[in-house]
Amino acid sequence: MAAKPRTFLDGAGLVWRRQAVLWWIFIVNALLSIFTAIQMMEPAAGALNHSFAADRLVHGFDVAALFGLVAQPESPIQGPGPAFLFFSIVFMVFMLFATGGVLATYYRDERLTAGPFFEASGYHFWRFLRLLIYFAIALIPIGILAAIFGKLYDHFDETSISPFPAVWVFVASAVVVLFLLMCLRLWFDMAQIIAVAEDERRMHKALRRAAAVVSRNFGSLFWLYFRISLVSWLVFGLALQLWKNHLQPDSILTALFLGQAMMVFWLACRLWQRASEALWYRRYLADAFASAPVTEPEPAVSHAMAAPAAR
Amino acid sequence: MWHLTRAVILAGAAAFAFSGAGFASPSQANQQPAASTGKPLSTRVVAYSVEAKLAPEKHTITATETLTYQNLTGQPQQTFPFHLYLNAFQPQSTFMTEVRLYGTRGNGPDSGWDAKHFGSITVSKFEAEGMGDLTNKMEFIQPDDHNANDLTVFQVTLPRPVPPGGSVQFRMAFQDLMPEVVERTGYKRDFFMVGQWFPKVGVWWKGAWNCHQFHATTEFFADFGTFDVKLTLPQNEVVGAGGDLVSSANNSDGTKTLVFHSEDVHDFSWTASPSYQLVEDQWTGSAGTVKIHLLMSPGNMGTVPRYLSALKGTLKLFDEWYGPYPYDRITVVDPPHGALDAGGMEYPTLITAGTAWNMPKGALLPEVVLEHEFGHQYWYGMVATNEFEEAWLDEGINSYTEVKVMDALYGKGTSVLNFPFASMGEDEQQQLSYISQPDRDPITRFAWRFYGSNSYGGITYGKTATVLLTLEKIIGEDTMRRALHTYFLRYRFTHPTGEDFLKTIEEVSGKNLRWYFDQAVYGTNILDYEILNAHSDPINWYEKKHSFGPQRDDENKDQVYRTYVSVHRKGDFVFPVDVVIKFNDGQSVVEHWDGRDRWVRYEYERKSKVKSAEIDPQHEIWLDRNFFNNSYVVKENHRAVHKLGNLWLFASEWFAQWIAWLT
Repeated sequence: MAAKPRTFLDGAGLVWRRQAVLWWIFIVNALLSIFTAIQMMEPAAGALNHSFAADRLVHGFDVAALFGLVAQPESPIQGPGPAFLFFSIVFMVFMLFATGGVLATYYRDERLTAGPFFEASGYHFWRFLRLLIYFAIALIPIGILAAIFGKLYDHFDETSISPFPAVWVFVASAVVVLFLLMCLRLWFDMAQIIAVAEDERRMHKALRRAAAVVSRNFGSLFWLYFRISLVSWLVFGLALQLWKNHLQPDSILTALFLGQAMMVFWLACRLWQRASEALWYRRYLADAFASAPVTEPEPAVSHAMAAPAAR
Repeated sequence: MWHLTRAVILAGAAAFAFSGAGFASPSQANQQPAASTGKPLSTRVVAYSVEAKLAPEKHTITATETLTYQNLTGQPQQTFPFHLYLNAFQPQSTFMTEVRLYGTRGNGPDSGWDAKHFGSITVSKFEAEGMGDLTNKMEFIQPDDHNANDLTVFQVTLPRPVPPGGSVQFRMAFQDLMPEVVERTGYKRDFFMVGQWFPKVGVWWKGAWNCHQFHATTEFFADFGTFDVKLTLPQNEVVGAGGDLVSSANNSDGTKTLVFHSEDVHDFSWTASPSYQLVEDQWTGSAGTVKIHLLMSPGNMGTVPRYLSALKGTLKLFDEWYGPYPYDRITVVDPPHGALDAGGMEYPTLITAGTAWNMPKGALLPEVVLEHEFGHQYWYGMVATNEFEEAWLDEGINSYTEVKVMDALYGKGTSVLNFPFASMGEDEQQQLSYISQPDRDPITRFAWRFYGSNSYGGITYGKTATVLLTLEKIIGEDTMRRALHTYFLRYRFTHPTGEDFLKTIEEVSGKNLRWYFDQAVYGTNILDYEILNAHSDPINWYEKKHSFGPQRDDENKDQVYRTYVSVHRKGDFVFPVDVVIKFNDGQSVVEHWDGRDRWVRYEYERKSKVKSAEIDPQHEIWLDRNFFNNSYVVKENHRAVHKLGNLWLFASEWFAQWIAWLT
């Protein structure tokens, strides 16, 4: 089945209409990151707030000044590394939890209040945890392939007089691995949508169904996923260029807004993928029902998953 | 050697097609070095004549060597020690033992052993003229650590001594097995960088033989003399060497024989690869024209303009500042990708650089390495100090001149990194390299006795450069330059000591600097001054204030404040400092503190509050370990913290979103 031509834009529209989801997730993301930032800023303030040398970090970015700060025995910015990792993992767990609510919102295209949202989130949490385990298992062959590519790279790097064969091996292997990762994510995204849409409890079955759906509609689905990724990278790259080349080094507030805008956009693009996929699947089911010769199947509805509401 | 403690401009350069005879050209073959036109520039103690044949597929060099040694020691000599450096690359050598313990400089082998790094030099025959075959008199010695498995030094006791003023001729047959590139020598695919490859006699210095074993952190020491080297190797090899090409002839067996001559140098190295592209250029300085040969590896041609610009700029500034470059050539070897271990090394009139096909324009690594290695032509090549025992005299002084040259050529503050979003200067890089381990070892420690390779690198390179930069504050930059100029002219083609260098600085500056040298050069003292506190208090603080609302003392122009500024010497390095105290009314006071006590408190009574206090406002005391505590601004400024926090927040959010992609 070909993707509906407007799924790409309709997905963006869906994220826009249900932007509360985006903002709440962003707020969680930002709050957790602020915790890690505070751990660095508080001790750094003692070293920098009364120092002329701090200007070296403000007016331009003097790498030596930063390293000089890190190299001090009582360096204020050596400690927060573990917090950085810890809060990232906390955010991952949060996203694992919230995905059920997010997908329910997008699939139904209606505003869920906190109660139903968290109910849907909790309802699907353990299923998605099992999916995460499957995902980790599925990553193993890709990891092995990446290791083989690495060996190939080493071989060319070792034996070739010119640096370029190894470079091309690296580029080719990066493309292949990236493609496989995107396919894998697309497959698991679809399995999550099936789990939500059809209240599928058995994740291996959801994965099988998702594999069938994705493989039958691979071109349109991959193009949908890839286009949004492309947009996110392009906009992110342009914003980085803007930051690097056009922002005054001491424009801290502007940089803060730009950085946060980039983060919101990056997150929005991921949600855009989710919304587009949910929308695509809803239309896919609708088409399937419409073309069914005799009777329409009863859509599976749980207490956490109602039928799509009127838009 | 450049210690690795770091987008390519594609532009055309005059690349000369190789014509089967090294990079020989008729004009080059006939050109004699400037040094040979008059009397010898050095006291020529040794005359080496080596005939060598390279077997590229076996990675071996089979050679004979004739060494004529002039006994200028002033006393009879019967026992002669020789270096066999390539034997260091064996698992039980002192070199590898030390690598296992604390790593090595640059990109050498890691602490594990890999058989591809095995190297050896085997002397199969040793004769002395008129004394017969002495092969069985050879004995390995280990003067530094008594490691019986270390085979990097052997000695021979002759049947009879060589009288003072006499000479002796040694004849040796030896074979090298080259390692895959390690410590700047060896092969990589079809590339060969052949350094420290022949038996080299020790140096009679300070009344004794100086012939140390090869260590993980040491380099070399040798006497000046002449080298006549005949190389036989496949005809497709492009060859560069630390000597003038005298002749080239193709042989019937598909090989060719190149003859090189060099004089007033203390080493000879060469390189070969069929993949080199030769780029020729020249530069004219006060001692004549210098031919420049760049041997470029595939993929790196884009760096040619950068190399040439850096080299010519360095030649010019060294010529102007320190003295003439007397040789008629300089060869720059650009190691191929995967062989950067061969990069960043100096030999007389031949240096190895280092780049990558994707080197961004703002990363000045190729320029830094090239400048550094060329600088060694002066500080090692001509001023031939003992790199085993006083590595700071070549690496450290060279790091200092690297700062001066790179800053002059590429801008202060941007001479290492020059990106729109980040920058770093050479002076900062040198300071950074030492402040992480500033007090483990004094600069003057023998190179192999440092705590580890990081301490060796940070102190020998970074601290020495920083000590000399700080010295500029005491004697002035111009005087420092004159001191180096005098030092170079006085000690070129000799083996000066650290004291010779320090006394030259004292002589030129007219100052007794022992107080500084004792702490900075011979000591491990840490220099760190801080403003402990700066605050103002109304002189009538005890009087009750009757007005309502917040008290704003500054609004009362008649209010007198008592201001206190406390300065603390945190480290044990005593150094006089200037302290500038600024007040809100725009006035300022400069205090000079000798720094001898642990702290000093300045007190003022003025009709204005203190605004800031700053030690060393000109930022001339580079040895100060922490610049951040050198100043105290009363009014808090959060901008730096906010900027760091902003970046941290951004990175943290993005990273978390990436992790969440897994779900």
